[in-house]
Amino acid sequence: MSGGAGPDRPFRRLSPLTPLVRGSLVVVVVLGSTWDDLLRGDVGPIGWVLLATVVGGAVFGTVSWLRTKYWIEGDELRVDTGVLARQSRRIRVDRLQGIDIVQPFVARLFGLAELKMDVAGGGAREGSLAFLPLAEAHRLRETLLARRDAVREGEAAVTAPSGTAEREVARLDIATLVLSLLLSPETAGFVAAAVALGVTFGLLGELGGLAGVVPVVLGFAWTEFRRLSAYYRFTVLTVHDAAAPDTPGLPAPTGVQVRRGLFERNTATIALSRVQGVLVTEPWMWRPFGWARLDVAIAGYGREEHHGGPTASTVMPVAPLAAVRELARILLIDAGAPDPLDVVLEPPPARARWVAPLRWRYLGVGLSERLLVARVGLLTRRTHVVPYARVQSLQLLQRPWQRRLGLADLQVDSPQGPVRLRARHRDARQARELLDRTHGLARRARTGADRQRLVRTQQKSPSPSGASSSAASSARESSSR
Amino acid sequence: MEELFAPPGAEWRPVAPALARMRRLVLSTAAGVAALAVVVLELVLPLPWWPWLFVPVVVAVEVAGWVLIGRNARWWGYAECDEDLYVRHGALFRGMVVVPYGRMQYVDVQAGPLEQLFRIASVHLHTASPGTSARIPGLPAVEAARLRDRLTALGESEAAGL
Repeated sequence: MSGGAGPDRPFRRLSPLTPLVRGSLVVVVVLGSTWDDLLRGDVGPIGWVLLATVVGGAVFGTVSWLRTKYWIEGDELRVDTGVLARQSRRIRVDRLQGIDIVQPFVARLFGLAELKMDVAGGGAREGSLAFLPLAEAHRLRETLLARRDAVREGEAAVTAPSGTAEREVARLDIATLVLSLLLSPETAGFVAAAVALGVTFGLLGELGGLAGVVPVVLGFAWTEFRRLSAYYRFTVLTVHDAAAPDTPGLPAPTGVQVRRGLFERNTATIALSRVQGVLVTEPWMWRPFGWARLDVAIAGYGREEHHGGPTASTVMPVAPLAAVRELARILLIDAGAPDPLDVVLEPPPARARWVAPLRWRYLGVGLSERLLVARVGLLTRRTHVVPYARVQSLQLLQRPWQRRLGLADLQVDSPQGPVRLRARHRDARQARELLDRTHGLARRARTGADRQRLVRTQQKSPSPSGASSSAASSARESSSR
Repeated sequence: MEELFAPPGAEWRPVAPALARMRRLVLSTAAGVAALAVVVLELVLPLPWWPWLFVPVVVAVEVAGWVLIGRNARWWGYAECDEDLYVRHGALFRGMVVVPYGRMQYVDVQAGPLEQLFRIASVHLHTASPGTSARIPGLPAVEAARLRDRLTALGESEAAGL
């Protein structure tokens, strides 16, 4: 309910171009369905319906724009919307996990952007503001994040959005992208199907039957094009807090920003403190080139998973292994930036071949000082990496046939996402040892992380000497809560 | 292999015997209905002789299920350690899960109509991971409430964030 959203509140509106951008889609759809009638000059009932739709849409869009207001009040972002049914949404700033800026194609033509807010709990993208001028979207994002950090640190005073610096660390060149897309199981399947069809019709002498290949070609081209446009101009940047004037160079990164897209420009920022694990994928077709793909697991981010399709979790769709390792080290900076592929992996006992005759040679698990690493995969080699401080829970699992052989699995539970670490077919006793060791390391890392966070908040709080003790104690409370 | 699944410095607390009783009742009811259906159809309709074979099959399933339910109920257990909850589950597919109290997001207590009849409830711990399968079925209702309150309190005092 919008209790007192009177005109005295300093609310803001979306861009006045919003109805136009939204409406353009409607117009395109309507035109697309009736263009042949219009071309024939047949402005019959359909023409009237079309006109009514456009006019109605324009009125509705304008009213909707007039009724949509947003403002920041206290620790909440409030959004009032609705033409007939009024809706008032309050988004608590301290619950914000991340804010993405998305530019759909039409909006991009007008220099507009949509702000998507990722709210803790449930993981669904709950808040969205569409559309804002791009510069304002960036400004609002900075303001909200700065306010969130201030609220989380228990400070009453809201500082101005702190400046951030960005540095480009990786860029995907178009040749690598195209080649990597062509070197996929889908391509292999497509080529096989095309050859089979061609040979069949060639032998039958009915080349007219080749027309049947057309939908296959189109489907394949569409899939590849979708990926190409999603990953086009894929750029990875590190985000740093603005350097203090007396220190040279940039401080350690606090986030990683991924920008991508041909028609729809997508900007997603990953807070490094939220990284739950990483996944390095090496499909067999890429191995001659030494390429790999890097995904990241983030709490509340793993919903948009299509099999093999473009996903939000991807930090680098394809890159030389060295570059992927470098990016992985940046993502794991909270765990001390170790290289996950340096961890020595131990294979399962040879008797594991009775339960996994082909795969057992490719299984491996390793514990380093900071990371738990497990590798699986015969054709596509996947290396799952979880820092101890991010272990949610641990499971020891034993199927009946594993019990016969004295084998067991160790599973590390991570938030929903690409990372699913499971050390398969270990010697049962060793699996239990691994569990106890990981558990101890995770406990230590957890308390260590808490202490680190406490130190950081204490250093950050710029309160005068009189209030510093109370600020420090409140920070301690909030970090141990 | 018992020591493979042993909580450090604690004993497994078993679940209520009512869990096995409830499951056996459900199994026996289903088996009884199936057997009865075969017999009635066979007597009423002009069917060949071989559907009679279903009756021993149903009996075999009933016996195997009876045994498995018993083993499963004996294998279920939980242990509240200093910083973690250990839960052991399964009989054929064995498993043990370790959940640090600080990782708990929330605790569910569920009791369906049948479970209410047997005065038991199941406690389900949720972490930020959907893979965490920390569920304890068949706790006496009082014990379930106690465990929930204790877990919630411990979860708050030890929360480690994400």
